[in-house]
Amino acid sequence: MIARYGMVIDLDRCTGCGACMIACAAENNVPPEPPRATPRTGITPMLVRALSNGRDGADRREAFIPITCMQCENETPCVAVCPQQAVEVDKSTGIVMQIPQRCLGCRYCMTACPYHARYFNWWDPQWPPGMEKSLNPGVSVRMRGVVEKCNLCHTRFHGAEEKAAVAGRKEIDPADYIPACVEACPTGAILFGNLADPNDPVTLAAHSPDSFRLLERIGTEPKIHYKTTQDWIRALADKNANHPTEAQHV
Amino acid sequence: MKVSRRDLLIGTAGVTAGVFFTPVPWKLLGDVSIWTQNWPWIPQPPHGPVETKQTACTLCAASCGLRVRMAEGWPVGISGVSTNPVTKGALCPLGFAAHQLNWHPRRLREVRHHGYTASWTEAQSAFEKACAEGPVAIVDGRPGRAASSVLKAFAARHKTSYRVALSSESRALTPYAIWGGVPVASLGYDLESTRTIVSFGAPLLDGWGTPGRFTRLWSERAAGSSDPQLRLIQIEPTLSRTAARAWRWYAPREGSEGTLASAVALVLLQEHLVSTQVPIPQVTLTDAAAQTGLSVESIRELAHMMVERRPVLAIAPDINPSVAALNVLLGAVGKPGGVVLRNRASASPVPFEADGGAYRAVLIDSTVPWEFVPQTNAEVFRFATWDGGGSKADWLLPSPGFLEELTDVPTAPTSAADTYNVAANLVAQSAGTISPAQFLTKIDSTLPDTEKAIHSRCEEIFKTKLGAVYADQPTPVKEFESAQKMEDQLRKGAVWVGEAPRAGSFHCTLKQWPATTPTALASDWAETWAAPVFPPLAAKLYQESTLREAPARRQA
Repeated sequence: MIARYGMVIDLDRCTGCGACMIACAAENNVPPEPPRATPRTGITPMLVRALSNGRDGADRREAFIPITCMQCENETPCVAVCPQQAVEVDKSTGIVMQIPQRCLGCRYCMTACPYHARYFNWWDPQWPPGMEKSLNPGVSVRMRGVVEKCNLCHTRFHGAEEKAAVAGRKEIDPADYIPACVEACPTGAILFGNLADPNDPVTLAAHSPDSFRLLERIGTEPKIHYKTTQDWIRALADKNANHPTEAQHV
Repeated sequence: MKVSRRDLLIGTAGVTAGVFFTPVPWKLLGDVSIWTQNWPWIPQPPHGPVETKQTACTLCAASCGLRVRMAEGWPVGISGVSTNPVTKGALCPLGFAAHQLNWHPRRLREVRHHGYTASWTEAQSAFEKACAEGPVAIVDGRPGRAASSVLKAFAARHKTSYRVALSSESRALTPYAIWGGVPVASLGYDLESTRTIVSFGAPLLDGWGTPGRFTRLWSERAAGSSDPQLRLIQIEPTLSRTAARAWRWYAPREGSEGTLASAVALVLLQEHLVSTQVPIPQVTLTDAAAQTGLSVESIRELAHMMVERRPVLAIAPDINPSVAALNVLLGAVGKPGGVVLRNRASASPVPFEADGGAYRAVLIDSTVPWEFVPQTNAEVFRFATWDGGGSKADWLLPSPGFLEELTDVPTAPTSAADTYNVAANLVAQSAGTISPAQFLTKIDSTLPDTEKAIHSRCEEIFKTKLGAVYADQPTPVKEFESAQKMEDQLRKGAVWVGEAPRAGSFHCTLKQWPATTPTALASDWAETWAAPVFPPLAAKLYQESTLREAPARRQA
């Protein structure tokens, strides 16, 4: 069966703890950045941003929005511009794959990404002496000069495929493929699953009246959905996607 | 056959063109690409089979269940244990990168005396000399562990004092322990049964208590609803992460939380909103409004909101007798949904501050946080895994790192039910490190052994036949054939959870309403606070995002 993996992130449940960011970095062997790294030059395939309603005193409200690769389904902008075919959409899963071995570091994809969800390796990956022993054996370390982004923990997908093959199954067990950020969220705010399956909880959540997608008007059909009951968060989320480095207020 | 120049050129051109129809250039290109990814200075992850082990986290007292992936004998990934009934698979952000901590640049690997390298023999001689001259105190950060029994035994045999450095969460429970005559180590909060939680600045959604316990509860019963099953009212001067997600947020002036609690109690009593009788707080609503910056109407509204949906529980981040008295008034003591007394009896530890600190020397266990700086002229022997910055320690003694030491983890300070975990030593102890218990055993070889103490605790639990051991599936203790089999499960990362506390097991009597003492101001706190040693990836939280303020290191 052809799958379309995606997420529904419930913004009303996100407390901005950052566990998803750390778990993602640890899973994907993202190195600790040098002290001069900034939110734009550091590598945060999953990045949680704060939103505020801009009011003062007791009327002030804040919310948090995790931003990751939106896994665009239609006219995937990064795929269209890559001169090296270093970005591909996996036909069987719908996952937008970044292949660092092919990347020449031109950063066209970063310019093309409407969600600013791609990061460039500005520095050689370095860990304090000995800490390389703590790296995840399933993920290769990316070198300086290549772009990277969230690939929905594709190594875990391979692991689930291998497990299914050993068990003589053609389909993976959904419980075997859970990205690190989903597993780490202490409030269960991130729902992950197969959007092509009409009975999957993630599909049902994606079709709820409270769900929405970022920059839906540009027609890239992202597979990352958001959910909130509060209008001000919904209004700010789009604005934030366009201008990620500016403080966001209503 | 004569080969002409023309033939040679045609042949060369043909071969050149033909090569492009073979896989050779493409394979070459691929290999070069892969080669360029593998420069000698690019670190390579370990290879070899990956196995998964379960254990308990020892970074703090919350005792979260850990699932640790190991490769080549090293931990390479950490996640939560979804079958853990307390944490339900959740961990704090730091826990996910905790396996990197053993290689932290600030890891202590040698004994230091006043900043200079020294030897364990010198440290031992100095401590023995101090013990001979006396008096000496041993400070424990997490009482109740098997290692604590070694520290206690040393203290008893060598005329030294065993003292504890209570966590802020334990300190918040101290008034109930005093008023109820029960040990503070046996008290906890029954969050699961309550319907309204009024937090006087406790960071309930940001690291308070056991990660996963309240966050899951809030997520299931409160998040996103305008009329939630569980109402979270946050009283805090600034819009914290918890305040941002609370059902209601009140912002009184900094340090006036105690006054607000007393004023709310006054409203509850004056308007007969509660049936409990307690002494009247010595505060007027007008004065309280002036001190807190909130209007009298807001204070009244808060009081009404508190009793609208019961049970209600007030929680303070640190010791605050007015908030504790408010709980007594609200009937939230010794009842479901309130402050409860757990079933297992605990000893009453004596805080270090209790006797003025007139010691010749103080030995500080590695579980004591860095912000604990003994206000004393005593010679300080400080065990630690990482150098936490400037401290008044005369001796810095390196202790085993994360997952390097077999230890047990007793009940977390805020837990409603008794729990017991065993944290196995999944990796070998680093050379040059010694735990406080090992250090004291070198001085007195007759001290009890930590491993034996863990064994006897498991036997104790087995004999009670109460509670269940949660591995992949819960197994009631009474179904285990022997204590050893139960201990084996615990050593493999299972957790024992005791029975729920009995209602009405204790009550508090207030002879007078406590005097309102201002809570610590952030500015006071900043002077003594020392940034903990974070895993390097924690920089994602404060440097590569704007989620948190960067931690500042205390000046040496």
